[in-house]
Amino acid sequence: MNDLRAVLWVARKDLLQESRSKAVTVATVFFSAVTLGVLAFAFGENPLLLREGAMGALWVALAFAGVISAAQSWQADLEDGALEALLVWPVPRAAVYLGKLLANWGLMTALGALLLPVAAGLYGAPLGPGLLLLLLVIAAGTLGFALIAVFYAGLTANLRARESLLPVLMFPVVVPILLAAVRASNAIVGSGDLALADAWLRLLVGFDLVYAVVCLALFRFVVEA
Amino acid sequence: MVAPVTGAAVELRGLVHGYGGPPVLAGIDLDVAAGRVVALHGPNGAGKTTLLRLLATRLRPLAGHARVLGFDVVRQAHEVRERVAALAVYGGAYGALSGRENLRLAAALRGQDPHAAAIDDALGRVGLAHAADHLVRAYSSGMRKRLALARLALADARVWLLDEPYAALDEAGQALVDDMMAAARAAGRTVLVASHDLPRSLATADAVVEIVGGHLRVVARPQRAAGVEAGA
Repeated sequence: MNDLRAVLWVARKDLLQESRSKAVTVATVFFSAVTLGVLAFAFGENPLLLREGAMGALWVALAFAGVISAAQSWQADLEDGALEALLVWPVPRAAVYLGKLLANWGLMTALGALLLPVAAGLYGAPLGPGLLLLLLVIAAGTLGFALIAVFYAGLTANLRARESLLPVLMFPVVVPILLAAVRASNAIVGSGDLALADAWLRLLVGFDLVYAVVCLALFRFVVEA
Repeated sequence: MVAPVTGAAVELRGLVHGYGGPPVLAGIDLDVAAGRVVALHGPNGAGKTTLLRLLATRLRPLAGHARVLGFDVVRQAHEVRERVAALAVYGGAYGALSGRENLRLAAALRGQDPHAAAIDDALGRVGLAHAADHLVRAYSSGMRKRLALARLALADARVWLLDEPYAALDEAGQALVDDMMAAARAAGRTVLVASHDLPRSLATADAVVEIVGGHLRVVARPQRAAGVEAGA
């Protein structure tokens, strides 16, 4: 119970800081909007091509926004030695990870829910009867992405070249998540094949579970001396 | 090897630590009995902060071992963290949270009641009641140090590890640190304090220990108290 409380307090801390600074919100919304707009422009006026590319563009926007979100969340911890002080308290390292994960996942999921109708409108992609399943795919995909992003952002937080190292290290690992998320989303929006989408979603959840176990097991080595 | 102190609150044996060059701590031994206040002196880079960070479980010894209240700082790190409170040179607070919110977070993560009146009391005691709901990013460095002192007092830990507690504080703030250390001693807490202020250390500490060249030695016992033995 105490561990769950610690998770919620760490998440609350991160979300409270973000609600005041808006640093992640402004950067990710602006970046995502530009990404969706530029890609829509690049696809041209072919409605079929636009519809086929809609979910790919959405996940590209979410992926890069997720990197910004995770990196920024650790920066606040490094200022004035706040994380160093926190790690001297008897708080389980897994609770620190899960709290930061919860905050990042929440922000990414909210961004995904915000971008979905924008992408649908911009690319002429019908959301239709698969909307609930699509929201589940976004929740599972952003969870998998956040699992990796928070872990690697913590790993590189103290490094001078963290901005360049973070995407280099994490994107190869997160590719299975992105592929499964794009396939599942496309199956819903493109062909309307909900059975296929369900199969990809199950694979996505499988990846989430594997990454969750690995990241939780290894996180203490990220923050311990 | 030093003569062991029965029931030592802090016990170091052959402790070695370094950062790639010559060891900063070259196999030091130290015993501090419970309830003692020990001042650590030494030039910049002597290893005072390293020693405190080892005891706070934020560094791992390269060799030897360290125990706090009988718990090994590596193998029983969580038990050590439940019993120590550390004051770092920097404030260690979140700038986008208020002073009160920082203390509530600290209390909650230490398993204490984050809504207790003790938080208001602690803020008042360190002279921050008027700024309790201001964001810490607007605090001066002295106010940040006072907030860290409030967090230290709230922690109710049996061992205090203080790194330059007087830094950034005005005269009243420095007197507050002295008062808190006196109260800690009276409450039976063990305090290790790294400081360059030798006159203050002689006035407040049971023993002054010097770190030079990676070795420890007791250089003064102003309170003539037993229970502090050092060597290398």
